[in-house]
Amino acid sequence: MALVEEVKRRHEASLMKIRGVVGVGIGRKDGKDCIRVYVEKDSPKILAALPRDLEDVPVEIVISGAFKAL
Amino acid sequence: MKPEDAKPICECTLLGLEREGMTPAVHPDVVGVGIGHKKVRGFATQDLALKVYVRQKLHPLLVKDGRAIPEEIEGVPTDVEEAGEFSIWRPIPPIYQRKVRPAMGGLSIGHYAITAGTLGCLVKSGGDTFILSNNHVLANENRGAEGDPILQPGRFDGGKTDKDVLGRLDTFVALDPEEANIADAAIAQPFDEREVTPDILGIGRLRGVKDASLDEKVMKSGRTTRVTQGTVVDVSATLRVGYSTGSFVFTDQIIIKGQRGSFSAGGDSGSTIVSYDGRAVGLLFAGSPFFTVANKMENVQKALDVKVS
Repeated sequence: MALVEEVKRRHEASLMKIRGVVGVGIGRKDGKDCIRVYVEKDSPKILAALPRDLEDVPVEIVISGAFKAL
Repeated sequence: MKPEDAKPICECTLLGLEREGMTPAVHPDVVGVGIGHKKVRGFATQDLALKVYVRQKLHPLLVKDGRAIPEEIEGVPTDVEEAGEFSIWRPIPPIYQRKVRPAMGGLSIGHYAITAGTLGCLVKSGGDTFILSNNHVLANENRGAEGDPILQPGRFDGGKTDKDVLGRLDTFVALDPEEANIADAAIAQPFDEREVTPDILGIGRLRGVKDASLDEKVMKSGRTTRVTQGTVVDVSATLRVGYSTGSFVFTDQIIIKGQRGSFSAGGDSGSTIVSYDGRAVGLLFAGSPFFTVANKMENVQKALDVKVS
């Protein structure tokens, strides 16, 4: 986790700058820690702009919609 | 006489409405009069009748002397129908949205100028008891001032500043539009500590605080969706969150996915996220169509210098 945390920290600013990206986090996929990138909608343009992994840490793209205060 | 002309007579003699040249009287069994099809043995006929609605329709032999409705009034046939009691249709709101004393976690609450959010839990600071919820619930997104009235239930649920004030706004973590935020949190002090209790509606007492782990099952009790269960899918999220005054970036957040459908909805803000072993792990404040976002409770405690009780 510590490593994933560092990788996430190094990349989150640039990931958040990508249009359509609303969040970056850490989750688990197939039993392994991964970086989760939350996107506003399922658009091929956004998906194409995102990496599949970062420094060997897998990236999971999650279609979340926009986050709003409830 | 036509039914329309006979009806005012009924309104006077059965319901007690004023009518010139007549003495108004109230029939104790009648709740309304109208015009409709005459029913015979349960089936509507083509004929119009004066409908006389009664609380309870009785067998003719059981009707008290002098209380029978005449067969016809001014030549217009009557038709007695059972209507029960007419009342304004006002469904009773769930307890989560009503005034409850002592107030507890899960109930509707809010700064007097907002709609409504949720009372998270009680916290202690310097020996005093406070109510914990979000800045956007108790402090109106930075716009509230110390001492502002906090209503339970919130204004949207009928809370009024003259009779439903539970306490006053104490302090809040200011939302920063420039830097990354850690907590959307605020505390209010109840006027009377006996008007609050550390219980959470539908969940019970908390057994301390801890950090949630990935894949952990959690629950919450909130004003809108009440008690729901979910799974922690992210323990280190950085997100952009939309507010009425603009968008704010939050970091070190947890993200929850509902077990069955939505974990939360508008009005659930401020709910305490509770682990299955009874620890407070987060403070719910935002969501997307598929996820719910919460501040880590450990961070909230640090930011406000309070301890969950």
